[in-house]
Amino acid sequence: MKPASIQLDELYVQRDKHAKELRDSGKKVIGYFCCFVPDEIITAFDMVPYRIQGSQNKAIDQADAYIEPMACPFVRSCFNKALKGEYDFLDGFVAPHSCDTVERMYNIWCQNKPAPFNHLINVPHMMGPSSEKFYRQELDYFVKSLENWTGHNLDTGKLRDAVRLYNERRAVLRALYDLRKSDPPLVLGTEITTVLVAGMGIPAAKHIELVKQFIDEVKGRPLPQTQKLPRIFIWGNELDDIAFIKLVEECGAWVVMDDLCTGTRFFWEDVPETADPLDGIATRYLYTHCPRSNVPQTKTRAGDLENRYSYINDFIKEWVVNGAIFYIVRYCDTCELEGPDLREYLNGMGLPVLMIEDDYSTSTIGQLRTRVQAFLEMIG
Amino acid sequence: MEQKEQTKTTAVKGTDMARKVRGLVKNIYRSAHEAKAQGKKVAYMMVSSQYDEIIRAMDVVPIPTENYAGLCAAKREMDRFLLKAEADGYSQVLCSYARIGLGFDSLRKELGGIPEGAPDGGMPTPDMMLGSSAVCDPRYKWFQAAGRYLDVPTYSIDVVWPPVDADLKAVRDHYIQYQKEQFQGLISFMEQQTGKKLNKERLWETIRLSDEAWRLWYEIDRMRVAIPSPMPAQDHFSVMVAGYYYPGMQEAVDFYQSLYDEVKYKVENKIGVIPDEKYRILYGGGLPPWHTLWIFNYFESFGAVFAIERQYRAYDPVEVPSSVKDPVEFLAWRSFLRATQFYEKARANSGNPTVERLLGMIDRYAIDGVVFHACRSCRATTIGQVHYKNILGRYTDIPMMQLVSDMVDLRDYSEAQWKAQIGAFIETLAGRSAR
Amino acid sequence: MPFAGIDIGSTMTKAIIVDHEERILASVIGPTGAEHRHLALKVIDEALQKASLAMEGLDFIVATGYGRISVPFADKQITEITCHARGIRALLPTVRIIIDIGGQDSKGIKLDNEGKVANFVMNDKCAAGTGRFLEVIAETLGLKLDRLGKISLTAEAYVQISNTCTVFAEHEVTSRLAEGASIPEIVAGLHEAIAGRVINMVRHLGMEKDVVVTGGGAMNIGLVRAIENKVGFPVLIPPEPLLTGALGAALAGHDFVRRGVTPDHGRRRERVTFFQ
Repeated sequence: MKPASIQLDELYVQRDKHAKELRDSGKKVIGYFCCFVPDEIITAFDMVPYRIQGSQNKAIDQADAYIEPMACPFVRSCFNKALKGEYDFLDGFVAPHSCDTVERMYNIWCQNKPAPFNHLINVPHMMGPSSEKFYRQELDYFVKSLENWTGHNLDTGKLRDAVRLYNERRAVLRALYDLRKSDPPLVLGTEITTVLVAGMGIPAAKHIELVKQFIDEVKGRPLPQTQKLPRIFIWGNELDDIAFIKLVEECGAWVVMDDLCTGTRFFWEDVPETADPLDGIATRYLYTHCPRSNVPQTKTRAGDLENRYSYINDFIKEWVVNGAIFYIVRYCDTCELEGPDLREYLNGMGLPVLMIEDDYSTSTIGQLRTRVQAFLEMIG
Repeated sequence: MEQKEQTKTTAVKGTDMARKVRGLVKNIYRSAHEAKAQGKKVAYMMVSSQYDEIIRAMDVVPIPTENYAGLCAAKREMDRFLLKAEADGYSQVLCSYARIGLGFDSLRKELGGIPEGAPDGGMPTPDMMLGSSAVCDPRYKWFQAAGRYLDVPTYSIDVVWPPVDADLKAVRDHYIQYQKEQFQGLISFMEQQTGKKLNKERLWETIRLSDEAWRLWYEIDRMRVAIPSPMPAQDHFSVMVAGYYYPGMQEAVDFYQSLYDEVKYKVENKIGVIPDEKYRILYGGGLPPWHTLWIFNYFESFGAVFAIERQYRAYDPVEVPSSVKDPVEFLAWRSFLRATQFYEKARANSGNPTVERLLGMIDRYAIDGVVFHACRSCRATTIGQVHYKNILGRYTDIPMMQLVSDMVDLRDYSEAQWKAQIGAFIETLAGRSAR
Repeated sequence: MPFAGIDIGSTMTKAIIVDHEERILASVIGPTGAEHRHLALKVIDEALQKASLAMEGLDFIVATGYGRISVPFADKQITEITCHARGIRALLPTVRIIIDIGGQDSKGIKLDNEGKVANFVMNDKCAAGTGRFLEVIAETLGLKLDRLGKISLTAEAYVQISNTCTVFAEHEVTSRLAEGASIPEIVAGLHEAIAGRVINMVRHLGMEKDVVVTGGGAMNIGLVRAIENKVGFPVLIPPEPLLTGALGAALAGHDFVRRGVTPDHGRRRERVTFFQ
């Protein structure tokens, strides 16, 4: 058996390999966008949830004939892959209404590269009891669509099992993140991203097993060099390639914590085990910390910022962070409106912030080196 | 060193009523300032959020921040606000309406008052901000971000529309229920802020006025099928002020009644926008280039008139079931029906409701060509244009063109490039009519 | 105890050698250019020759600038942000804001009371607001880059150049010319546009006296005037605006030695390979 680290590396590089194998063995694979489509529901139908990813290292060469270049380049990259047939293995395509671009993309995708099953889940932008209820009803409708398509009714027992399974995966991933708390951290930021992205296209049980083994391997290996380096928190949107984090670490820093769509945002919080499992799922997913969701205003500005970002404050304290880097994939209106608020909050805590806006492309990442390095020199 | 005088950038209008819109726009900000002086509540808001009648019924004076951005651009007074927002850390690709609004708020805070020379006296400091998720994401995020400059109570609501492939029977109830609850949340918030209860009779009255205005407006547009065109798209982008910024007000009804009479007269007497109408163009979508509206006249110089447009024409009148007896529920129903009115048609044909609307217009208005305007910083009205073009191409062979700039940010506009593109487009139209 | 700093920018390579009292022993400016890959070594050799030193005699070599990444003979590489700050701290200690306008990027650096970097901003991989923008337009107008400053001073008004994109701006310039604008008015408009972009970016740091302008942009009097106009007060210009980064690099080398920092790796007398 290969070491888990090698297997995870391979899964990171060949992201669709395992999903295709499962499909060949008769399983259905359901592709979805973002952090608002519950893996649990897809798993309860005995299907494989597959988080759709782009290719930061490949040019977007076909999508422009279908979608404007001022749309989110991550989404364009995903669609570019679909146009090239790289997502033909998907039996289903599910988009949440996470933002303007993804919502528009749903129709463009379905009209040009429809999967056998297509569905859009409308996710409220607001939070609160009526939003919870609506999102729960949207999940009911999603379940109904899956039932119609598969010809099977949802088995509540299986959904309960799936909730437990994914909570276990969340716990294992949090345990992995615990290894980043020491100084120096036991795991590199690049390794974390590799492990997370590798898990986006495989069943949770398999991922859990690999992450557990990986944790054992990490604990057994010699400590990294003990040079004192700045400890960085990364905030942003889709970062499903290690290139940028690698650049930051090469410039002389430890990336120790994140709030990214491809990081804590998708797995951190557990799904509460409720009598009707869909209730717990609805609550958990609705309150995902994404800038596209509007946290209701509380009190004054200062109180409002505290209410919106206290979880980040906890991250920063527990993982002993010295600086924050925002990596925003361009054309994300909600991140671009959120960034300055979060910076104000973090600066208020005395934490320096470097805000970077970039195209979703590894070819331009080198140009960011000066900025990152100067930031590290400044805080170091 | 002084900047050299600039050339005129606004468009020459086709109708007398369109020329009167300037007064309606000025009045938006004047009445907000007056209300503020009288101690009445004023609110930043986003038009077309389906809550407009509630705001009027609550006697809160609306300040439409997006309109203010468009106004600044039309007056070419936007740069200092855009630059201020960018200096404050907002991206140059962020919605330029939001950048102007945030830049304005930032400058007002910094200067301790309205920036000198701000168009139409500027926007007064609001007592509250009311965002919504209707149309696009920045419409609730913007006000959240504005909290940086304005520590005022802020409340946003969801406005939800199902996807075109949804089983409407299966989803209708929960969509309407949620919409109603969102409105109720807003009403409670506004009652708290104003210390006044919503008068439901008053709400029915504002709904009636607003529906009457939209009905008249709809009739006007139906008359625009006439050849020669009695009213061009640039007029539409003016007269929409009554429908979008005065819903629930008698002013809107009166305005459209007068416009109705004027357009009817023009149709009956065959008075066209231009003397020699050669081509009829459909403005296929995208926010108008507020910075350079004279571009419509540039088309006209080649005999091309914009006969009809999709932008700022979100929905036709809808029939809410008479069993609905509560005005808030009525608004929820109306919102749902407006959003889904072309779904059935779309599913039977192109699969896309926007394409259905465009196809309908191409047919009814005898359209020779379609022009879209892609705005670099507006995802909501831009993404999909290429897609609509692709699908339209399966049903029609008329020429289509996408011009690219921004709704207000002049830095994304190249006059030379546009003129070249427009020239080629007109040549294509000429080539087709010669056949 | 001599220290060298080499600043490899996108268009120019600059080298400085200082002694332990931080007196300048030699300084050289040469072109970088794609066809001059080997020049970095040549520039440092020339500086060594001027200072009558051998490379082995240098106590520390710091490389900075766009091409710093793979300078085989450097002991450490530091960004030009940190180096400009270090150089200006030595030259003009009252400065709190540095505006550097280079060939392919422009940046703003805020210094704290000790002259250390407190914050910085850089333009976003786009030629607007850089020397390259001026160069392209100068070509369109058939003018030499170094004449632009003086030409613009003869203008009584400027025409607005709105486009951020260099290609669009070229179109814009052509149509303004066709509309009858004079060349000085257009050049003044270009300076106005660049100054506007750069100052707006730097405003993010909070404008504070004194302000210094460095890099190639500092040698364009028209651009400097436009900047002063926006800032609202006179700015400082160092005697050798191109050399502050290299000076800072040399001084940073001295700082390293004082702190007992050892070189990252062995020096190799090889060509700089960053362009390949």
